Amino acid sequence: MAQSKKKLITLQDMKKPQDVQLSTPDLNDYMQLPKPYDTIESQPALTEPKGAWAEKNITFLDGYAGIEGLVRPQTKEEEREMVEKFLSGLGKILSADTNRGMVQPLLLSLEYCAKCNTCSEACHIFEASGRNEIYRPIFRSELLRRITKKYFDKNGNLIRKWDENDPDLNWETIARLGELAYRCNLCRRCAQTCPLGLDNALIAKEIRKIFSQEMGIAPKPLHEKGTMLQLKTGSSTGMTSAAFLDIIEFLEDDIEEKIGRRIKIPVDKKGADILLTHNAGEFMAWPENPAAFAILFDEAGLDWTLSSELAGYDNVNYGLWYDDYQAKQVGTSQLKVAKELGVKRIIIGECGHAHRAAAVAMDRSAVGSYYVPRESFLPLLRDLVKDKVLQFDPAKNNFPVTLHDPCNYVRSMGIVQPQREILRAICPQFREMTPHGVHNYCCGGGSGFAIMNSMNFAEFRTTVATRMKFKQILNAFADTIENPDIPKYVCAPCSNCKGAMRDIFEYYEATEKYNLQYGGLVELMVNALASLDKPYLEFLSEE
Amino acid sequence: MLLVVFLYLAFIAFIVFSLKKAIEFAKMPMHGRWELYPVPKEKGKGHYGGSYYEETKWYEKKREISLAAEIIDMLKEILFIKKLFDNQRPFWWLSYSMHLGIYLIIGWLVLLFLAFFISLPFIQGLAALCGMAGIVLVMIGSGGLLIKRMVQEELKVYTTGQEYFNLAFLFVVAATGFINWIIFDPALSYGPQLMNSLLTLTPFAAGPLLTVHIILAGAVIIYIPLTKMSHYVGKFFTFHKVIWDNEPYLPGNEISVKVKEGMSYQPRGRWAAPHYPGNQKEEK
Repeated sequence: MAQSKKKLITLQDMKKPQDVQLSTPDLNDYMQLPKPYDTIESQPALTEPKGAWAEKNITFLDGYAGIEGLVRPQTKEEEREMVEKFLSGLGKILSADTNRGMVQPLLLSLEYCAKCNTCSEACHIFEASGRNEIYRPIFRSELLRRITKKYFDKNGNLIRKWDENDPDLNWETIARLGELAYRCNLCRRCAQTCPLGLDNALIAKEIRKIFSQEMGIAPKPLHEKGTMLQLKTGSSTGMTSAAFLDIIEFLEDDIEEKIGRRIKIPVDKKGADILLTHNAGEFMAWPENPAAFAILFDEAGLDWTLSSELAGYDNVNYGLWYDDYQAKQVGTSQLKVAKELGVKRIIIGECGHAHRAAAVAMDRSAVGSYYVPRESFLPLLRDLVKDKVLQFDPAKNNFPVTLHDPCNYVRSMGIVQPQREILRAICPQFREMTPHGVHNYCCGGGSGFAIMNSMNFAEFRTTVATRMKFKQILNAFADTIENPDIPKYVCAPCSNCKGAMRDIFEYYEATEKYNLQYGGLVELMVNALASLDKPYLEFLSEE
Repeated sequence: MLLVVFLYLAFIAFIVFSLKKAIEFAKMPMHGRWELYPVPKEKGKGHYGGSYYEETKWYEKKREISLAAEIIDMLKEILFIKKLFDNQRPFWWLSYSMHLGIYLIIGWLVLLFLAFFISLPFIQGLAALCGMAGIVLVMIGSGGLLIKRMVQEELKVYTTGQEYFNLAFLFVVAATGFINWIIFDPALSYGPQLMNSLLTLTPFAAGPLLTVHIILAGAVIIYIPLTKMSHYVGKFFTFHKVIWDNEPYLPGNEISVKVKEGMSYQPRGRWAAPHYPGNQKEEK
């Protein structure tokens, strides 16, 4: 495959034939990491795309592919169909009839960009890639804007038919744009800095919507194995109600083993004050997290329950990232469970996007049918700490701890202080990352990246998308990073963020070499409980 | 007299086209929540980006909103383009020069209007000063941005022909005003005369260069609301109606009424993906 030289990639380049790869990943170009990963030799080498998918999928943007179903057309008819379907979907996102929920913010963002590039400096992917032009936040936005202006009037009506000799648009443009929509974490940090309040993340999400809602193309982990599976089985993990109940029993055994007393985890308790919802991935990958919630809620004497109903035991809603219809279906089914259980409120556990989906995104759609108040777990736990309902011995957490702010409930919901108040109370060596709070950087796993592992997408995630976060973590622990005897804990109170941390620590062997640990907030809280005799955190037990 | 009528038409067109744009955005359906923090109106929390979601049972508590904090934030943005200053200083110098120049020219017109009724030399002097500074700043800002966009590769590749034209248009308007001022009218005395003609509906005598300048100025006033330079309209919506709109649904509140209305809407168009209702192929 011919490689383009390292010159500024332009929007016109997106039309280049499929044998031209616009950008080639190169560690030398990427943003430098701090010590001890400050040399190329200290980082794993990048791989070449290989396998049947490399020729079939859309690797000719940047050498990576994230969408299994987005494949190269085989005939002229398929090429035409790809472009025409895209234009048909584009018309629908521009219409107040078919995109009621987002048409106003979208048209504002399409109309007013001043091309000042202020957003660029704010983007962790653009910066981490060494300012690769294709990852500049306005690159994909401007391409969509130009296609829109050429093909649609201001009312969203198609004004010309596509013709294969169009100098600005062909199937390769559309295919590259589809992949490019998945080179943005939708973290919205760029929108915070825009002097006009415009949002490139929204535009990336709307492109994803065209592909999913009109063309039927979305990454498998989000759609087929995500929302579709969740609507069918109750969970994107495929976990059925019976399996969930088995896991709860296992958790009760595990808790007993760890803390020396048995807790009965309430399930399907009608009329409880609280329905606690978890990302079902926690039960599979990090069961110590829902177990920690159970320990804290039990010790605080709260009136709470979990649900074993379909859609009641998994609070994820991947629709948030790519498909409004799917988001509403999932969100409605989750609220229905709470309503039927008669709980007074839903407390959302450590899952960032589930917070935003249930509390914010569904607020003007699904709640109309099934209104139940939704709250984050953070203010509740902060109050338990502040009111001394729970007693802690902070000395048990006497190791360096830093906090990652999940974009979905920090930048998009304004929950900033409760987690800090808790950490200051229970972790004597707590230190902030720079920047933090609403100005945080995404973990790199946002908007579905954390679960997109097919083809070679994971390499993009671990080397580019999570790079800025890794840099922040290394800087936060600069004083102790090279001492493997001291555990250093990244508190990431969000399942997807934890997934991103897990992958990056594995990729760089950071736990093995430098004792970098990650986990949620509730695990730290349980570890510091005065009532416990043994450490709750596994890495402390191993010492 | 034609110049006077043309300027009136230009002002009316500016207002009508701007309002039309605002009404178009205002009439769009209520969007899904898409707020982004910091939201300055969150009382006691806006400065760090916090919100009512930091409270337990927030839906049972009274919303604490600070209109003053919101207005202060707005003014910082309107008067100083603060986000650009904070995040993109090299661009800010030129952009702010252009915007401040436009504000000063508006100030010039306001002072000329006042001076028509209150004959104080101070006001007349200040008006002339505003006009001169405004013309120079618009010229520096628009000219500087035009050059910056032409030479800086990462700006050049995204700048469209119309965007160059917009800047060039502003530059030419300011430049013709500048040349007229320097060569023919060092005290900018045409300002009070023009205001007098406008308010008394009497003919205004202008030389060829001033006539060209006034026609171009009128044309740009008509042109601005038809382009993305109407971001004074868009910015109201992007901030107030999108990223600062965090009004929650509460049973019986205004949002709940709108949600109810929205739920009864039946779209005429339909998305085509297979998972949409009615698009599924029959399963065997």
